[in-house]
Amino acid sequence: MARLNDDAQWIILMGFLISFSFFFLAIIINQSTVVGQTTAESVIEFPKNDIRDLTGIITYNTSRSNSTEVVRDIPVIALSRKNAIVRYTVILPQSPQDTHSYALIHYNNGVTEYDENWTSL
Amino acid sequence: MSFSKKGWGKTKVRNRSALENTAGQLYTIEGIAAGLIMIMTAYLVVSATSVYTAGDTHISDMQLEQLGTDALKVMDAPASRGQNSLLQDIIEKTPVGTSNATFGLVFSDLTNSHTTAVKDHIQYTASYSYRNLTDPTNAVSSAFLHSSRNLSAGEHAVRVTKWVIVNKKLPPSSPLADRAVLVEVLMWRD
Repeated sequence: MARLNDDAQWIILMGFLISFSFFFLAIIINQSTVVGQTTAESVIEFPKNDIRDLTGIITYNTSRSNSTEVVRDIPVIALSRKNAIVRYTVILPQSPQDTHSYALIHYNNGVTEYDENWTSL
Repeated sequence: MSFSKKGWGKTKVRNRSALENTAGQLYTIEGIAAGLIMIMTAYLVVSATSVYTAGDTHISDMQLEQLGTDALKVMDAPASRGQNSLLQDIIEKTPVGTSNATFGLVFSDLTNSHTTAVKDHIQYTASYSYRNLTDPTNAVSSAFLHSSRNLSAGEHAVRVTKWVIVNKKLPPSSPLADRAVLVEVLMWRD
């Protein structure tokens, strides 16, 4: 092997380092286009609005007519249109001893399971 | 290292190459660089099969879903306690399956309004589902409510829903009762 000119090895090494750091910076910039993907997907997957809407209407119905048709409607429509198993029981006020309504609500859409024990004011 | 007895000035300066074998250092660096280039090339080739664009990130879907949920929530808020909400009124007063222009006006206004006069271009088609009392298996039926545009199957739509309790004959041949219906709106950007 011919005798190497080993001058300026540090300069060459630094040159390589800087080149590679540029490469990794480019990868980071490239990734910035998908920022928020995981956040958005987890927001979509988690049925926060569904659960709040459901508990809202169940508790609203206890102060309205507490129609037995509503009690039958909700599990059937939830399973058919929302792919969620919903069951709930409402206990109306046992006056005069107790003036509160109670609701036991169960929700399961296969990913998120939620149970609530609600008491009216 | 050994020092001359005649002082520092005559000390022989020995550089690193005299102590170690420094042959081929540049070739080593070049080899490492070539290796890294090959690994990166392989990475780029493999990752080229999955190019993510902003549309794949579902961020706009999430925003559209939240906008629609909020709009339906606003429409289902009664003016005062004990009164019917607008959404309840719309469903109760519209014959099953017929279009309701009020829903269209309010929903369009809530979802397409900007702070300036320029309107957004969100389209929707709305319906509600109810349990069919006359059906022997109590199947769920859907009733059309309103749409701003017909579906052409090419839309990338999101679905938003809202539970509403209405006092209505569902279906029209059944007795009047409080019923739970699920308002469903498909929304997409045109």
